[in-house]
Amino acid sequence: MISLLDFSLIFMVLAFIPCMYRIIKGPTVPDRVVAVDAMTTVIIVMLGAYSYDKGSVFFMDVALVLAVISFVGTVTISKYLDEGVVL
Amino acid sequence: MSGISVFINMIMNILSDIVLLIGLIFVFLGMLGLIRLPDVYNRLHTTAKIGTLGAFGVMLSILMRAGFAPIGIKAIAVGLFLLLTAPIAAHMITRAAHRHGVGLCKESIIDEYGEARER
Repeated sequence: MISLLDFSLIFMVLAFIPCMYRIIKGPTVPDRVVAVDAMTTVIIVMLGAYSYDKGSVFFMDVALVLAVISFVGTVTISKYLDEGVVL
Repeated sequence: MSGISVFINMIMNILSDIVLLIGLIFVFLGMLGLIRLPDVYNRLHTTAKIGTLGAFGVMLSILMRAGFAPIGIKAIAVGLFLLLTAPIAAHMITRAAHRHGVGLCKESIIDEYGEARER
């Protein structure tokens, strides 16, 4: 009997495919940024579910750091697209 | 005493399954929108839901399962951080895309930000 948390892990792996499709095909730069942001969120959720599944706290620290890096990266790229400079 | 504890545990398990299922449904809808919708702004509208409702639902479900153990506290910290920062990132990338010159899809009927910038 497969539990719902294991099913959510399989589902998150399958959710990579649309993100990859949009990163490769997306016509403009903001498309790709949006897809990378969505893929990072999926990775964060997957790390959380995996951390609970294995009973280890350390993967949740990785998820927190990845969330911070994803936010800073998206803000930096949008500032670069908007004004042409970073900072 | 033990009977009440087992009962509360069962209720929390059922609630966490429901919240996890809601989060997974929102992740599925976000991925569907990422493939099917026509332009950047529509796609961003759906992928912001992955960051807020999908991730927060899954993290809340982990908090309900684990209780106030270190895993649960860190999970709800990650969920609250995503709930705060995902809309900010979505607004910033939308504004940057519009100012960068990415057009709207041809079915759209109103562009208030573009009209306000021309004035």
